[in-house]
Amino acid sequence: MVVFPPTTPAELIALILRVITSHTFITIIIFPGFIHLTLVVIFLTWYERKLLARIQLRIGPLYAGGPGGILQPLADGVKLIFKEVMIPYKASKPLFLGIPLMMVFLSALPFAVIPFGQHWVIANIDVGLVFVFAMTSLFPSMILIFAWASNSKYPFLGGLRSLFQQVAYEIPMWISTLSVVLLAGSLNLVDIVKAQEKMWFIVPAFLSFIVFFIAIMAELERLPFDLPEAEPELVAGWYTEASGAIFMLIFMGLYMKLYLMSSLVTVLFLGGWWGPAFLPQPVWFIIKTLIVATFIIIPRGVYPRIRVDMLIKTGWTRLLIIALANIFLTILLINSGLLAAWGI
Amino acid sequence: MVTLASYLIVSAALLGIGVYGLSVKRNAIRILFAVEVIVNAANLNFAAFTRYMNPPQVSGQIIVFYSIAAAAMEAAVGLALILVAFRLNSTIDVRKLNKLKG
Amino acid sequence: MVSLVIPSDISFVVLTAVTIIGAIIALQAKELIYGAIALAISFIGIAGFFALLDAPYLAMLQIAIYVGAVVVLILFTIMLVRRERGEEMDKRTDAAEGSMGLWLAGLLALAISGVVALAGTSLPTQAPAASLPVSDLGPALTLQYPVPLIILALLLSAALLGALVLAKVER
Repeated sequence: MVVFPPTTPAELIALILRVITSHTFITIIIFPGFIHLTLVVIFLTWYERKLLARIQLRIGPLYAGGPGGILQPLADGVKLIFKEVMIPYKASKPLFLGIPLMMVFLSALPFAVIPFGQHWVIANIDVGLVFVFAMTSLFPSMILIFAWASNSKYPFLGGLRSLFQQVAYEIPMWISTLSVVLLAGSLNLVDIVKAQEKMWFIVPAFLSFIVFFIAIMAELERLPFDLPEAEPELVAGWYTEASGAIFMLIFMGLYMKLYLMSSLVTVLFLGGWWGPAFLPQPVWFIIKTLIVATFIIIPRGVYPRIRVDMLIKTGWTRLLIIALANIFLTILLINSGLLAAWGI
Repeated sequence: MVTLASYLIVSAALLGIGVYGLSVKRNAIRILFAVEVIVNAANLNFAAFTRYMNPPQVSGQIIVFYSIAAAAMEAAVGLALILVAFRLNSTIDVRKLNKLKG
Repeated sequence: MVSLVIPSDISFVVLTAVTIIGAIIALQAKELIYGAIALAISFIGIAGFFALLDAPYLAMLQIAIYVGAVVVLILFTIMLVRRERGEEMDKRTDAAEGSMGLWLAGLLALAISGVVALAGTSLPTQAPAASLPVSDLGPALTLQYPVPLIILALLLSAALLGALVLAKVER
């Protein structure tokens, strides 16, 4: 029997075992939590480099160790930790050091509401989608503060461009999810996935899938929306002055955001954890998320960069109109009763 | 124990801080900060009342919803005004912005 | 069984501290940008209060709109309105004004707290056990209060156009 507070060593061990095997501990620390996120983010960095290499007819990282160079991210991490952290002249130290930590924290926080399986969600709150929306809307402000705190021209310009781009594409991103909310009837991510049991929402909400996909590629600053880190123009954009451990934190934050957006696409459009029963539910979720991540990474090796005024114009005018029109189409579709056979 | 009165006192304290900032500060942007603090104090007040009423009413949350939207709009227009004032007078000290011309 | 639930009293005290200290730093910090960040932290504190008051949708909306949009606007304006880094536009206010402001604010806060204290037992001390589900907000917005919704939409368009026209650079 577990007694709190424990008085003998045996009771202490029983208490520790009880805490470690409790569902809360496992979800927060191990499965859709801390350890899983770190491992997947490290895997994604290797995966991206290998994938881009194959598209560009190269081989990619090979010599760091293990089959196919899988220990390359470990080597990268060790190198970055040992590099000197240079803080620019008259830069604001607390902001410079604190904001990357906040970025990693904010990228990891929405995972608390994303369901990896029917019982594998850390916090099943009724407003899960709006929670993810609120957390991702904090990114542009942090990028602006970090770019300003670097006290130097190129990061500041890159930060402004990044701010414009991310703010412009946030709105089509979240308006296009409204169709999904209409189809599912709830803002709770677990309910949204449960409503996709018979048919994935990519079928009735195909247009909003396209808009959401383009918008998250712009949010993640991936090519072809790569302007904030356009190498010939801005060195490395808003994180030019970040070196060493700071860069590693920002890098991890970016890849965690990639994983977050891919898992959002899976939850909202690709049916979450549903799949034939020969594999457990979380495995289906991760497979689908990795496929989406692949499709986000591939354009990086294929497309050229888009000019900044075309980029922002597309975000504010064309994507927004398509997203709004799609809400009306979805309402028509639901009310016409065509989807009644699939439970919508 | 947390009662309705504790929320109201926190809201009153925030109101006091906002009024201090509104009446003493000279920088126009700080005055905007103070206005936002006051609006948030009022929102907190509404939200606290709507929770502690019996039976719970939804109109309190609707009021807060509108208040958040209206305050965001007001901040946007206010900041645009500050930008224009800076462009014309090169200062945002409200003591110096006291001529109607320009 | 170990209980991992933090009692709501501790969260109330922590949130009060965060909100009030954030508001004070926002008005007193020498650099405007630090003030804006402190204001953002204060807004997050208020969002925490909304979450504590069983209004999670409002809490998320507060973070998304205030911290995600208004603070960005403020930061952007601060960066456009400065001459060079490090110049303070807010010199020390003289003691007479400062103390007058403190008296005014202090008396106002005390007056309201006095009213609250006088109301005493007529204020409820326990929140009713049932709280509103989030799905109640939608019907209330569109069916019970449609006119304010339309007015809000018109007001938003007017504000958007107004801000665009004001900030346009004359060529």
